[in-house]
Amino acid sequence: MTNLNCRDCRDFAPIDVVKGVCHITKTTVLGDAEQCGDFSLMPKCKHCTKFTADPAIVEMGVCEASTTDPKFFAFPDMVTVTCEWFQQN
Amino acid sequence: MPKTLKEVLAEAGIPMDFESGGHSPKEMVDREVKREPHPRVVKLKDIYMDTLSSANNEFPYWYTREYVQHDTEIPVVRRAMSLKSAFSHSTPVIYPGELLVTHKAAFFRGSFPMPWLSEGYYMAKEDELYQDALKRGSASADEHSKFGQGGGNVVKSFGKVISIAGKFGMRQEEIPALLKLAKAWVGKSVDDLGHKYEQMVPDYEVKEALMRNVICMFDSGYTLPQGREVINYYYPLEYGIDGLLDMAEELKAKVAGRADGDGIKGTNRLFNYEAVILSLEGLKTWFDNYGKEARRLEGIEKDTGQKAEYAEIAERLEWLSHGKPRTFAEAFQMMLTIHLAVLNEDAISGMAPGRIAQVLYPYFEQDIAAGRTNEDEVMELLELYRLSISSIDCFASTGVVGGVLSGNTFNTVSIGGLNKDGGHAVNRLEYLLLEAGLNNPMPQPTLALLYDEKLPEDFLLLAMECIKTGVGYPAFMNNQIGMTFMLNQYGPEGMTSEEARSWAIGGCLESSACCWKPLHLNGKEYFVPGGAGQPTSVGVHFLAMPKILEAVLWNGVDQRTGEQVFAPHDRKLATYDELFDQFKLYWQKAVDVLALTNNIQHDIWRKNNMAVINSMLKPDCLDRGHLIDEKGYRYNATFNVESAGTITCVNSLAAIKKLVYEDKAVSLDELKTAIKDNFGFKTAKEVNSFSLSDQEQRDGDTGKWDKLHFMCLQAPKYGNDDIFADQILLDWENFFCPDCRNYESLYAHTMYPCQISVSTHGAMGSATIASGDGRLAGTTFADASLSAFPGTDRSGIYALLNSAAIWDHSMSQNSQLNVKIHPTAIQGPSGSRKLLDLIQAYMRKGGFHIQFNVVDTKVLKDAQKNPQNYRDLMVRVAGFTQYWVEIGKPVQDELIARTEYEGI
Repeated sequence: MTNLNCRDCRDFAPIDVVKGVCHITKTTVLGDAEQCGDFSLMPKCKHCTKFTADPAIVEMGVCEASTTDPKFFAFPDMVTVTCEWFQQN
Repeated sequence: MPKTLKEVLAEAGIPMDFESGGHSPKEMVDREVKREPHPRVVKLKDIYMDTLSSANNEFPYWYTREYVQHDTEIPVVRRAMSLKSAFSHSTPVIYPGELLVTHKAAFFRGSFPMPWLSEGYYMAKEDELYQDALKRGSASADEHSKFGQGGGNVVKSFGKVISIAGKFGMRQEEIPALLKLAKAWVGKSVDDLGHKYEQMVPDYEVKEALMRNVICMFDSGYTLPQGREVINYYYPLEYGIDGLLDMAEELKAKVAGRADGDGIKGTNRLFNYEAVILSLEGLKTWFDNYGKEARRLEGIEKDTGQKAEYAEIAERLEWLSHGKPRTFAEAFQMMLTIHLAVLNEDAISGMAPGRIAQVLYPYFEQDIAAGRTNEDEVMELLELYRLSISSIDCFASTGVVGGVLSGNTFNTVSIGGLNKDGGHAVNRLEYLLLEAGLNNPMPQPTLALLYDEKLPEDFLLLAMECIKTGVGYPAFMNNQIGMTFMLNQYGPEGMTSEEARSWAIGGCLESSACCWKPLHLNGKEYFVPGGAGQPTSVGVHFLAMPKILEAVLWNGVDQRTGEQVFAPHDRKLATYDELFDQFKLYWQKAVDVLALTNNIQHDIWRKNNMAVINSMLKPDCLDRGHLIDEKGYRYNATFNVESAGTITCVNSLAAIKKLVYEDKAVSLDELKTAIKDNFGFKTAKEVNSFSLSDQEQRDGDTGKWDKLHFMCLQAPKYGNDDIFADQILLDWENFFCPDCRNYESLYAHTMYPCQISVSTHGAMGSATIASGDGRLAGTTFADASLSAFPGTDRSGIYALLNSAAIWDHSMSQNSQLNVKIHPTAIQGPSGSRKLLDLIQAYMRKGGFHIQFNVVDTKVLKDAQKNPQNYRDLMVRVAGFTQYWVEIGKPVQDELIARTEYEGI
């Protein structure tokens, strides 16, 4: 769990692509700010056992839960709060 | 230093800075009326003001992932499956202090691409698809469309944020996924398939030339295929989601395998109901997911007040995921979520909520009577609603979002008008809605007041107060003219006088067909209005009249590009009548080919990308079992022909008629030479101002065109109650309006005229050389359809109204007249009265629409120089209000240049 920041936190409500509201402190924080002591992991593809990273493109990968052939792509930064296949690794 | 046109004219004794009807103070004057919303709203609005338009790939990811799994499925079912998956997987986001929740995407001002409509434009520039788009002309409009450089627009990439189309920010981490999704739709999107088939239209090359030369601004089939219509909330309010699911299941069983006399479409009803069910299931999950998020927040929240609010929100959403609303707050939440659901179904601008205070009134009336709420709580929700609606972005190309929409999405709310029985429809909630517009001035929802002589005086005077805040709303629309248009256009589809009373404004200014439905609440029946018609402003979009005139003068050749757009007419243009006749012929050629190609685009849309959720809401789709593509809507004759640059063209024709054909002061060839030479001036692009007065003479210009240029500028101009120019407008309208009936939409109905410019007068003016009225190359056209060209209406405001009312406005879906008034001209109660008198005078003359910018031009000039000081300054652009800093420079320049009335 390295390189995690506010954007990876469950209590970060994104306002836009730069910043969000922290539900714990009720303040506006930058998404790329370092995680704090109240950090709670936001489910994302990159934290899922079904995600296989693309060896060539760091922002891409494959969802092994996909039923298509070939498997449908996934991207590590996608939020998976609503994904029925998500299993935290 | 080269002289500006303003200086040249001043030396000649023709000042461009003139005051009309009075004098304004030398110092900047602020607007008279200012109010504040509730503290909760102020806090959230502070967030909004600092929010960037943001996009992500979540919705298109799940949509596409589901879509590719079902390539053998029936198209309507496949689409619904994809929508269901996308809604079910959308991440809910709730911000502290919100009471009305749900957002388009997981941002405060979020949106997302819809590559199934068009995937080409947001591909990387090096991508071959982008190059292809350039060749196909669709990128030409983008080049002439400019976003404002401030506010929430992400005009440039920075840090880990990539600017898309100069408007939206996307995280760098998502760009590879965006491209992957886009590539999945290559050859399959409405844009690509439409392009494949539209090429089969004879004279297709004319269409492409029209687009490349910005004579026409947009295709409508894949850009904004829905919108400029009024949504209908009736079914979810009356039945709730479970009720609708039950209804759809029951009807599905009833029609399965049955043609019921319709051997072509009868059996389609089974699939349509199945699609409705799937979509409803997606919406149900969307509500549920938001409810779960509210519960989660309730769980972690330490502040007791906020905790209780999360609990209330959760209860509301949990209930609405299956039940029909019981209270005002539940009904309002249902309305907002359903609205956003429709906007997520398609790229949509102008999905007007309609007459919401009349739809919500049953809940308001009963909650107030029962003591379940009070007017202060209702006001707070109404103020919050303005924030929610202003946060709606539409992810489309630069040309569409910047050049046409100026970043606005036109979710217009209508007030006033008549009820089903013919009495005025104003209720107590309408007063509060108007007050909310005063308290929380924001661009959306803009308000359209359907003016009828029956409306209460104090309501109209409250509207004057609202206008005096400078927000530009409410705009006034003539109810009787609107009803006449409705009956003329939709009478053949069965509209009655009673039903015509339910009409409302869709989009910014598009009169839209509606109907009455009986809403039941606690045993009481209320007839509520809601949309019943297909999208409008689809069909032929924004044909630049001055460009067509240019083509006439130069035998079909566009002078900016040198391209032969129309076949040469080879006429001598020896008389004005011959010239005007050729103008009409080129116009008809353009409309014809554009109508055919757009029909094909929309046909692809309806076959593969049809509205399911919007259809489900619109009478009579659920009853008939047919969606929009099978004419399930009650009213389908909605396609239109949209003009732009009307008054610039009228003034040009007037000058040519006067100087060349009547006075013979100049030959047509000499005038053309002067126009081509831009009367000795630089282009607007060179000067970096799109206002006529700022244009500079070329270095070394000998002034050889000065005299002729003055003559052109001083030729008769529309807006002065001068029959010479006004007759040309009348002749045009008497040709244009009935001519639209000669073109047929894909739904086999005749078209009609739509006369609003939105923001195209900036972009199209930028692509047009000088014109006969003395306008210089690249400068903005006169705005709207009946506004005078800036600075040319010098005979007082009532003269302008007389000019505007010379023709029968009920022949058209709309007309548009913008007036700029200095705040001191309408100060105090007597000022309000004068303003209302003015509006009523115009309505009684038969004018359809009028709206006001109450602002000191000096403020606008200062705002252009110091935008950082004016983040919250709002102006009326066309049929919409927008933050000054989010408007492109051509339109800013035009707004500054508009005639300012110091007295009325």
